[in-house]
Amino acid sequence: MTVVPQANTAATSQGGGSGTLYDVLELILDRGLVIDAFVRVSLVGIEILKVDVRVVVASVDTYLRFAEACNRLDLESGRKAPTQLTDIVGEATESGAKGKSKGALTGAVEAVGESLTRGRKGDSQEEPAERGSERTSKRTSSRRTTSREE
Amino acid sequence: MSTYVYAITPVDHPLRLDGLHGVGEPAGELRVLKTRELGAVVSDAPEDLRAKRRDLIAHQSVLSRLLDEGATLPMRFGLVGPDDDRVLAALEERRAEYGERLKEIAGCVEYHLKVSRDESDMLREIVSESDEVRRLNEITRERPDAQEERLRLGELLSHEVRQRQDDVANGIVARLAPTGLGHRVGAATSSHFLNVSFLVKRADATSFAQAVDEEAEQQGPGYVLSLHGPLPPYSFV
Repeated sequence: MTVVPQANTAATSQGGGSGTLYDVLELILDRGLVIDAFVRVSLVGIEILKVDVRVVVASVDTYLRFAEACNRLDLESGRKAPTQLTDIVGEATESGAKGKSKGALTGAVEAVGESLTRGRKGDSQEEPAERGSERTSKRTSSRRTTSREE
Repeated sequence: MSTYVYAITPVDHPLRLDGLHGVGEPAGELRVLKTRELGAVVSDAPEDLRAKRRDLIAHQSVLSRLLDEGATLPMRFGLVGPDDDRVLAALEERRAEYGERLKEIAGCVEYHLKVSRDESDMLREIVSESDEVRRLNEITRERPDAQEERLRLGELLSHEVRQRQDDVANGIVARLAPTGLGHRVGAATSSHFLNVSFLVKRADATSFAQAVDEEAEQQGPGYVLSLHGPLPPYSFV
């Protein structure tokens, strides 16, 4: 079983926070209930979230970027070639991460409390990630890209 | 002193807050305000609150604990009322609405799924399936000055990428939705073409996770599905 949701997270440590805070940041900041007439604190420094919106697809810049990426492709390697073996980046001792084979490809199955990238968001990142409050699982059916979200 | 609000709960929620602390530096002390029907977890609002990491964690930790022990309406980070009395007045004023929402989300948690796909993997797929893309790719590789073809190639790729992402995203949502009680799709980003939250009964959490697992299996190489939860139902309040 890859994804291990725990019905009971009572074990969450004090101030447990989350190793996956960044992944749920938009929920904490942009969703949740508001009470009319109450104010929200100014979220200076949070603009980073807006940077990550989908790039405008229909733009010359995007076209050129795609064309160049396509030109650079190593077509010889073939898209199905398992060019790299799985790189399990989770801490195996944590949450019982497991590797799992999938046909010709190798799959990495991890239950990770992936640490936040420190420094990613300036002062909202000033403390090290504390692991624990959520059960998170990353599932990739081919190789892992460790820096995917950096 | 203004009042920072974390969550609204039914009045009979255990509201166990030991070991937790509020936002701010030094950390605010958590308090409970109660009306006849509802409870609110609050603390004094720090003067200079910003969305710092420790504050986000404090907010999230309070909500996680409350979620574990009963129905909880999570407030958006950073919500500040003028004082305790006005918070109580707001609870009273909308008690019917809050009560209703608490009933709706009782026993439910949110799972957030992000899906990305390796770009090279996708481009290879497109190249292998489109004669026109292959033709334009060859031309532009050989002739760096073929600007018109380069733009045409990019436009074609861009369209195909979007189309494929949308198809996969729609398929994933359609297949997972029946396991949950509701879902909410967020804006795609450059890193994840699908960001979607599901409201899931705790009792169904395992089967939901299995469904996500099967989905990952089905999508195959190049895709990364990451599932986060259980979370307070931020997206469903």
